[in-house]
Amino acid sequence: MSEFVELNFGPQHPSTHGVLRLKAKLDGEIIRELEPVIGYLHRDAEKLCELTFYADNLILFDRMDYVGSMLMESGYLEAAEKILSIDPPERAQWIRVVMNELSRIAAHLVWAGAFGLDLGMLTPFFYCFAERDKILDIFTEICGTRQETNYMSIGGVYQDITPEIMDHILEFTETFPKRLEEIYKLFVKNDVFISRNKGIGVLDRETAIDYGVTGPMLRASGVNYDVRKAKPYLVYDKVNFEVPVSYKGDNLARFLVRFEELRQSVKIVREAVKKIPDGPHFNPKAKKPMMIRLRGDGEYYARTESAKGEFGVYIVGDGGVKPYRVRVRSPTFKNLSVLPVLAKDQMIADMVAISGTLDLVFGEIDR
Amino acid sequence: MKEQLGESVSAVNGKDGIMVHTVAKERLFEFMKEMKEKGFDSLSLITGVDRKDYLEVVYHLHNFATDEYVEVKTTTDNGVVPSLVSLWSSARWDEREEYDLMGIKFEGHENLKRIFLPENWVGHPLRKDYNLKNIQYINMDKDGEDYATFDPGDGW
Repeated sequence: MSEFVELNFGPQHPSTHGVLRLKAKLDGEIIRELEPVIGYLHRDAEKLCELTFYADNLILFDRMDYVGSMLMESGYLEAAEKILSIDPPERAQWIRVVMNELSRIAAHLVWAGAFGLDLGMLTPFFYCFAERDKILDIFTEICGTRQETNYMSIGGVYQDITPEIMDHILEFTETFPKRLEEIYKLFVKNDVFISRNKGIGVLDRETAIDYGVTGPMLRASGVNYDVRKAKPYLVYDKVNFEVPVSYKGDNLARFLVRFEELRQSVKIVREAVKKIPDGPHFNPKAKKPMMIRLRGDGEYYARTESAKGEFGVYIVGDGGVKPYRVRVRSPTFKNLSVLPVLAKDQMIADMVAISGTLDLVFGEIDR
Repeated sequence: MKEQLGESVSAVNGKDGIMVHTVAKERLFEFMKEMKEKGFDSLSLITGVDRKDYLEVVYHLHNFATDEYVEVKTTTDNGVVPSLVSLWSSARWDEREEYDLMGIKFEGHENLKRIFLPENWVGHPLRKDYNLKNIQYINMDKDGEDYATFDPGDGW
């Protein structure tokens, strides 16, 4: 019987993207067995949701995927508004699409920068975060906060979008594509980057579906599934965009799919900002003092496409002002569960590259 | 809209228009096997709902080819339901999570231990009768394993 060396990796380690602990059994430099240990950021948001009003729960969702908080907000509201029978007006839906896509760009830029760091590239990190800061400046203008925005609310959005902000967003969509191609070249023109990612961590279609993997990871494995196309929510059926799919399933494929998504998101933002109709940005049925008195009944499962994959929110209401049960389908939780399969019989250094392409955000995994 | 499917009852009763199949837990595994053969290749979500006198387990199944979602519901009085790990690998972590937070025991799961909380944590937080005033602290032993304690001096 051969003997393995046990290696503890994390929970405080720069390349684990948060507080992930990995227990590996090593045969030389090859990983034979890998066990992720999670829960270091756990605060049981699902329980906290049961204790507060429907309107107040929004801030808990901000803190799930904290790099793309608008996506989390609209994911929760997709379910909560149906439970409370409140429809957001058309203008609010368009504003939400713009904010969702800006948030997706911000989230993917964090991933790209951190992925570079995992592979020992420092430069792209600064490029990515400089661009991300411009989006956060737009968020500051529109709601006063950079990350945990709490901008959307039941019945619409909390503040109306002004023509100046729309100009700033359009200006961003003009300058960003050029910078994006620069960042892209920093990665793909680097031979070391290509050789460390091409053919590494291949995830085949059957395994991906079996483990419940969604989002860019699933699309990189050859499944054309994007909730924005499959079951359009908000006004995603009225904007033009394409869903990138790769059939290789390796690290490089996941990288390329995410970069193509960045380009598509810019396209959506540019189109949606111009199409924002006039009208109210808020449904008066859900105005401020009334908001916490709204009663929800029935069950609803809403799925939305977050930056990481299919973000599902399942709410069970019992006719009260607080939800009876809230369940979150966290895409990164499922994506991480496939890491032991991907990292088996790989080198330690490759495992770091693979976990970099999973796009882990621990606020969402541990909830 | 109700139809009889073996010994299960199928109806749309949520606001989302998703078909809900209600199955007895004794028949759950066979029913799920049939569903998988029908093309539901992904188990998207497992939810436990504490209905105070019994527990309800809700499974969301997804068919990628037709993009169809269905719910399968089952109830249990003693908190034991069969595990579906042999059908879908995604059940492995979801069942561990529901065991950890809701206290549902999945019979046949090869590694049913807590996923978020330390192994000796007292109670299951998502149960309606869980006492939130009973604060537990977490510390780490010499081997690097987490443990829970009621003694605030022992916590971090």
